[in-house]
Amino acid sequence: MENVRQQGVLDHLMMLERAGTRRTERPQHSRLEELRNAIATLHVKRDRLRIETVAVKNLKQKMDQGMPLEDHDYGDLLQLEKALLTSRHMKLKDLQSAHSLIAGYDLMECNQGKSVCVSLHTAFEGVYVETYNMEVDLTRTVQISRHNIPPYVPLEMIAKQTLQTDFKGFLQTLSLHLNALAGRKQQISLIMELGTVKVIERNQLCNFLILMCKAQEESETVLCTLEYGDLTRYLPTRVTIESENTTLVESQQWRKNRLLLLEFPVHCALLTMRKMGSIA
Amino acid sequence: MEQSYEEEIKILQQEIEMYEAEQENCMRSISTEHGDVMQSILKTVCSHKERGDGVLKKDVSKLITEITNMETDLRRQTKISEISLSECCVKTLEKRKRETIQQYRLSGHCRFLSFQVEFALTEIQDSDSFLRKVTDLNIIVDGAEFKDLGAFVSRVEETKSLYLFFRTLRLFSDRCDERARTFRYFKEKYPDVVCLPEGCSSEVMIIQSPSLTGYTMNIYWSISVSKEGVIKPKIELLMKMPDQAQQMDSQNVMETAPECFRSLLMIFGVEISIECLIKTMHF
Repeated sequence: MENVRQQGVLDHLMMLERAGTRRTERPQHSRLEELRNAIATLHVKRDRLRIETVAVKNLKQKMDQGMPLEDHDYGDLLQLEKALLTSRHMKLKDLQSAHSLIAGYDLMECNQGKSVCVSLHTAFEGVYVETYNMEVDLTRTVQISRHNIPPYVPLEMIAKQTLQTDFKGFLQTLSLHLNALAGRKQQISLIMELGTVKVIERNQLCNFLILMCKAQEESETVLCTLEYGDLTRYLPTRVTIESENTTLVESQQWRKNRLLLLEFPVHCALLTMRKMGSIA
Repeated sequence: MEQSYEEEIKILQQEIEMYEAEQENCMRSISTEHGDVMQSILKTVCSHKERGDGVLKKDVSKLITEITNMETDLRRQTKISEISLSECCVKTLEKRKRETIQQYRLSGHCRFLSFQVEFALTEIQDSDSFLRKVTDLNIIVDGAEFKDLGAFVSRVEETKSLYLFFRTLRLFSDRCDERARTFRYFKEKYPDVVCLPEGCSSEVMIIQSPSLTGYTMNIYWSISVSKEGVIKPKIELLMKMPDQAQQMDSQNVMETAPECFRSLLMIFGVEISIECLIKTMHF
């Protein structure tokens, strides 16, 4: 401490840093020893795995041929049991992950069956995005005790409608909302990847979006406003096109563009518009 | 020296990975191909195991608890999602340091509709991000109900929207169920008037007059699914009567009936409207 006061904090930090780097410069032989130890451990692991693999293979072969299994087939009954249980465990794990990939949510019992933890997954065009979690209390009335669903998702409204009466329906509606949100959000990041179109306004729910693009020929700025009236969808319900050049906005091409924006995910619509030469 | 050690470590790690992958594949195929045999062996093994070392015993009992919990969770999951998988085949196609590609082949049913789904799942782990995506999605649905689902299925395959597919399947099966229930109800109530030539899950119901031959009313109840997964039931009436009677049809009942039936549906709903039709034949 004396030292610090005399030479200032920076000097002290430098000294600490020097001490730190010195410690990493270990003598050569201990590094070699470490490596030797690692090799030994890996050797043991590999040999164990080799024996296990051969045993599992034998087991499978016997089963394939429909032969009865005997004690010595697997060394030990406990070993055999462990192998079979591991196989069953793996199968169940696969089933669980398949379920979560296709159904959109996982349910897991917790608190000795008093509550369930629900993980709600979201995806857009095959890419899995956020996962939200929720703990639902099942003791008396069904109640959401904890969750990390963002506050701008109308969770309370959805819960009021169906949570007590139709838990299945509740999860489906909630999953629909979260997936639509994920879809709208993902589209915005895909627009940014396009590079030429600017997102000049957006909100947290991603249901209001103003895009600025450049019309290719006139090099005029065009503003596209997208409103998503239905929160369970990732496509807009209203699209308005604005520009100082009113003839451009009313042109047949831009009318078509408006329809494109209504019917396709916004990044796809913009790509098509660019291909057709509407925007830069 | 150091370098040769490091190389040895690398080789050992590769061997370990190889054995692990081999064991995993073997384990997977055991439970996929010999599920029943496995269960019965497990039962006999459980009943006479006494000896064994402590660590192994602990591992086994831990596995048993985990399996029991997973089974409970899966049952609940199946009940709530209404998707039940009868076959689930997962194969690791590629495994590199950061990237894993697995192939999923699933078949099962969602309510009473059966499906087969196949896709590849790529997982890429970077230092700060984790990406999971579905590619090469292939869906097979068969059965009489699905004949108009083609456009929807190809759209789902194209956009890889698995969630949309299963959500739509559920809603679609609701509508099919509703139709079958209605048809069955009328068949049971008026067995000699109502005829279901293709069973109650098809889209046709025929109302025949028991006393007047040649007079029929065909009800076509189709359920269409748009590319985006919007489900729309459509119910239509088609009248048939003998030529002779048609000549006497001064009020043009034949032609106006479908339109009248449409307005009837709008005002009274499906069941009452069909009931009305049956009553006109059943006197």
